[in-house]
Amino acid sequence: MSLHEVNPSVKAFAVVISILILSVFFDPITPLVTILWVVTVTFIFGRVSFKKWLLLFAPFLFIAIIYVWSTMLFPRLQAGDSVIWEWGFLTLTAEGFQRGVSLGLRVLSFATLSIMFTLTTKPTDFLLSLMQQCKLPPKLAYGIMAGYRFLPLIKEEFQTLQNAHRVRGVARARTIPEKVQQLKRYVIPLLAGAIRKAERTALAMESKGFTGEKNRIFYREITVSRIDWLFFILMISAVILSAFISWKLGYLQYYNREL
Amino acid sequence: MLAKWKLREVIVLSVLAVVFAVVYLLFVQLGNVLFGLFGLIGYDIIFGIWFIVSIIAAYIIRKPGAAFLSETVAATVEVMLGNAVGPQLILSGMIQGLGAEAVFAATKWKNYSTWVLMAAGMGSSVFSFAWGFYVSGFAALSPGYVTAMFFVRLVSGALLAGLLGKYLSEGLARTGALNSFPLGKEHKRNVTV
Amino acid sequence: MSLYDQIKAEQLAFSYEDSNIFTELTFSIEKNQSVLLLGPSGSGKSTLAYCLNKLYPEAVDGELKGSITFEGRNLDDFKPGELNQKIGIVFQDPESQFCMLTVEEEVAFGLENFHVPRAEMEAKIDRALEWVGLQAEKKTTIHTLSGGQKQKLALACVLVLQPEVIILDEPTANLDPLSSSDLVKTIARLKKERPFTLIVIEHKLDDWVELIDRCLVLDSSGTILFDGTLVQCFGEFAPYLQKEGIWLPKVVEAGITAKNAGMYKGERLPLRNHELLSGLEDSVAFLKKENKTISKKEPILEVSDLHARGHLKNINLLIHKGELTALVGANGSGKTTLSKCLAGLLPLMQGEIHFLDVPLSKWKEKDLFQRLGYVFQNPEHQFITDSVYEEIAFGLEHRATALDNLEKIGLEKHANAHPYSLSQGQKRRLSVATMLVHEQELLILDEPTFGQDANTAREIMEILDEKSGAVFMITHDMELVDQYADTVHVLDEGEIIFSGAPESLWDNHEVVNRARLKLPFRKQLQKDLVRRESHVTT
Repeated sequence: MSLHEVNPSVKAFAVVISILILSVFFDPITPLVTILWVVTVTFIFGRVSFKKWLLLFAPFLFIAIIYVWSTMLFPRLQAGDSVIWEWGFLTLTAEGFQRGVSLGLRVLSFATLSIMFTLTTKPTDFLLSLMQQCKLPPKLAYGIMAGYRFLPLIKEEFQTLQNAHRVRGVARARTIPEKVQQLKRYVIPLLAGAIRKAERTALAMESKGFTGEKNRIFYREITVSRIDWLFFILMISAVILSAFISWKLGYLQYYNREL
Repeated sequence: MLAKWKLREVIVLSVLAVVFAVVYLLFVQLGNVLFGLFGLIGYDIIFGIWFIVSIIAAYIIRKPGAAFLSETVAATVEVMLGNAVGPQLILSGMIQGLGAEAVFAATKWKNYSTWVLMAAGMGSSVFSFAWGFYVSGFAALSPGYVTAMFFVRLVSGALLAGLLGKYLSEGLARTGALNSFPLGKEHKRNVTV
Repeated sequence: MSLYDQIKAEQLAFSYEDSNIFTELTFSIEKNQSVLLLGPSGSGKSTLAYCLNKLYPEAVDGELKGSITFEGRNLDDFKPGELNQKIGIVFQDPESQFCMLTVEEEVAFGLENFHVPRAEMEAKIDRALEWVGLQAEKKTTIHTLSGGQKQKLALACVLVLQPEVIILDEPTANLDPLSSSDLVKTIARLKKERPFTLIVIEHKLDDWVELIDRCLVLDSSGTILFDGTLVQCFGEFAPYLQKEGIWLPKVVEAGITAKNAGMYKGERLPLRNHELLSGLEDSVAFLKKENKTISKKEPILEVSDLHARGHLKNINLLIHKGELTALVGANGSGKTTLSKCLAGLLPLMQGEIHFLDVPLSKWKEKDLFQRLGYVFQNPEHQFITDSVYEEIAFGLEHRATALDNLEKIGLEKHANAHPYSLSQGQKRRLSVATMLVHEQELLILDEPTFGQDANTAREIMEILDEKSGAVFMITHDMELVDQYADTVHVLDEGEIIFSGAPESLWDNHEVVNRARLKLPFRKQLQKDLVRRESHVTT
């Protein structure tokens, strides 16, 4: 079994449901066990390069640290919390610390799930699958595909605009109004060009008989097999098992207790 | 919802979403810097930029669903581009889009004045905050801090999505690229009269 | 009537936003005919074509009056999309007529729309790709194809549906001369193999002459100016068409020039080179070109041993003050990369560029671009403000002079318009003008006449010719090189394989063939003349 072959919609569904379940719990162990599980699955069944994975993961590590930091500095104080350290308006409590770590790990658990999806799914397959399995209207799906096609063009155009601004002697934006002006100088030409191209593309698609009709025979059929559902069940079970382990260890907390 | 849309409108909506998906990804970098400087509230300062396509698409195309669909498509394209936030981003996009759409729906998709556009930006702020409260566990933060985050995001939605969106759309109308859309036609009438 | 009328239009009129695009068109097209649709820009040629396959008026909020029938059935009776299988269309812009990522998926898109069973798709796709010679690219990403290949793919997408009519809407407008000829040859071959009705809208007509049997000419107000055979159209009416601003095949244009000079004695204007040659009284005199006096001036820009990313290697060249230098070469040979290096817009890997005897790396960017200008291929990229006036005034010390400059390029009436809302030709003039106001000593241009109509191209070249400083331009148009350039450099796979006067380039067959250049019309004619004479003497 390879993660690359799992149906993209089922894979996305598994990730989203896992995240929704993880959001219910509020302790460090549940996300931690999930992280270990997902990372193992990603590398064994996804065969992704560690370098690519780390590149995507690193920013989340940073975000997780900020989460821990914010929660520790601006904690929700509750009666009975044990204060570890106090300095001016800052109060660090044991409970606050634990909640911070829980939040940080939660961010990382979401990240590992998402990276697993991103690194093992082809964009067009995802779109074809959304159309074939999730009944995304063809009009919208092909619209997205057409728009997605413009990306390399937009990138080239962006670089040309940068050069053009140098040649014309446009000064570097320093103040906020200048920055807004600069944003406009890039976004408007890019959008104007893209919109006119989009109108031409729409005409070209209609000229090939595209009406947005829902029953369509697809050249590339994306199927759902039993293995896909097996994957789905495995993923969800793993998250629930993580929570179970946490409960056994006596850490498990529900979100409600916090409210 | 899409039955009443011309293919031309759907594709233009998608292309708007694609361009802003790229802008959104760039702003994640800026967001991370602010985040590092100010903590969680750093993100809220610029959160409004992530709703801007709803405002622009609705203001240009003026059809029910424009705000919701554009934000959803932008999120989908971000996922396709490899935003590591992954498929749950599509859900966030839908929720943000619904926030703006709800405001336009309240005017029966008739009113696109500056105030409505700003309110739509704030609508996205409210919806996205409620969602973030659950998923990101804001409950762990002190209520004062959370309230501050909420108001910062509200203002950001009004200014960076509502006002900036209006400003950019009108700049775009001047180029003539929108001549076959309601906003372009309105602009043309104002110029010739 | 040879066969039967396949398409019939009666009293056709189309209006869009209160203005009439065309009015009262009545005509019919026979099955398997090849019709050339001509007219000045804005005469509604494309609009008419889109009406014939029912894309319009639905796609825009326009109003169509009159009736069109296809094989006796009124267009109103066709279901949405139904007609598109019978009438296919290839559009002008290779970048915006696809919606999928790979070649095979794009060809499949049309088949999917018409519910072709999946089992049959593969074979049909393979056959269509074979017809246009793209079999090898079946799995390729469309983005990586060349412009010519993209247009062939567009053709394959149409052919796979086996339509009865194919409309070509300026299919070669964004292609270089060789890819254009190649595309026309492909179409001619296909038409011979399996007949279909062909409706062509084109500006560059030279390659099409052999293929077309009939011309339908619209005038600027959108009524039919001429309807008849190709021979009649160009042989007799060409001077009228020229007055309307319609492009003519080069041989016809040369015929008119010769006739006006009293050198051409043929009854009709010539349609082919040999007709022109036999009608000329003194072909040698007609083909003589005044030699430009070349006096070597001092260099303004000096490139030594340049290597750069992409694949530029060992580039050595000089640009002299007061000269017009052309850079030519096939697509992908590195022309744009080189031009950007010369302007300091790309980093060098090795070598040095001196501008006014100072290395580029030593120039402050602000000072450099006061004295060196760069005009991008797409004029829109040049614009950085919201109005035509501001474009010219940007960075000027005496903003009042901006209006004078606008008058020079005939845009004073559009001073308040957004640069993007101008016509193609106006945009091009404005983009060049923004680089002239500072009187830069060296102006580098990336294909300034690309996609421009005959008049704009001529105007631009005249502005550049008059400019006092040095001009360095990339071009695919050998006519321009022949007419205006003092020096020409040929780039082939990242290396300069020729530097010298245009005349000596045309005589260097090895370089011309290797760089896939197309000789200018004058030289082609000379070659034909030599061949003819040797034929007569033997």
